[in-house]
Amino acid sequence: MKVTIDKWIGVSTWHWNHAQDEVCGICRVAFDGTCPTCKYPGDDCPLIIGECKHAFHMHCLLKWLTTESSKGLCPMCRRRFKTATE
Amino acid sequence: MESQNAHPAAGYSSLKMQDAPASAVDGHSVTKRLQSELMQLMMSNVPGISAFPVSDSNLCQWTGTIAGPEGTPYEGLTYKISMTFPANYPYRAPVIRFVSPMWHPNVDMSGNICLDILKEKWSAIYNVQTILLSLQSLLGEPNNASPLNAQAADQWDNNKAEYKKSLMAHYKDIEELADE
Repeated sequence: MKVTIDKWIGVSTWHWNHAQDEVCGICRVAFDGTCPTCKYPGDDCPLIIGECKHAFHMHCLLKWLTTESSKGLCPMCRRRFKTATE
Repeated sequence: MESQNAHPAAGYSSLKMQDAPASAVDGHSVTKRLQSELMQLMMSNVPGISAFPVSDSNLCQWTGTIAGPEGTPYEGLTYKISMTFPANYPYRAPVIRFVSPMWHPNVDMSGNICLDILKEKWSAIYNVQTILLSLQSLLGEPNNASPLNAQAADQWDNNKAEYKKSLMAHYKDIEELADE
């Protein structure tokens, strides 16, 4: 029997490669979802990981760092937040 | 809804317009986060604490209860608190107040609380549950170095029997409190 493929549709899934926690500690939405202001997950609403290994939606963390009360510290461990360079 | 398909750019710009007012977006994210907290609180059902929005229409005003921890002068007593969430919660701390009259070194006669994590030590990862648990442990471990109620601090340090007496003189059963 011969089969001819006329057309095929590729489907894929993805998730951020960061399993430590399931949700962003700031907005409590899944990492694979978006921060409250974004509509599309993925590259438009990326994660940010600190040298302290704590991760957040980038938008959530940047907003936290702009507040006076943050003093530039990681919300989890209160160490100065510096983006991990890998 | 034909107009939605008319021109891709038209749909896009209307989306952008919805996103534009920052306050509306903030209000939306506060609601979202508080809804998720409410869900988590109801599912986890932590003994000794409870909290619930006052009305369906305003998710930024909650009322809660804290049971006095065992082995402290507050054992067997239940206290009512009010929680008011700012529009930019969790980037700013909620305002928490004891509604029940409270005799405690770090609480004044109006129910205002002096607790570092609600002020300069606030973090965006704190939530209703962690706040209530912190308040609960504050009951048994007052910070007497900077008291709002100096008399209570003095009694705590020097005369626990007197402390308990003052506490009971001020205490009102939660049922007797007028609904706010």
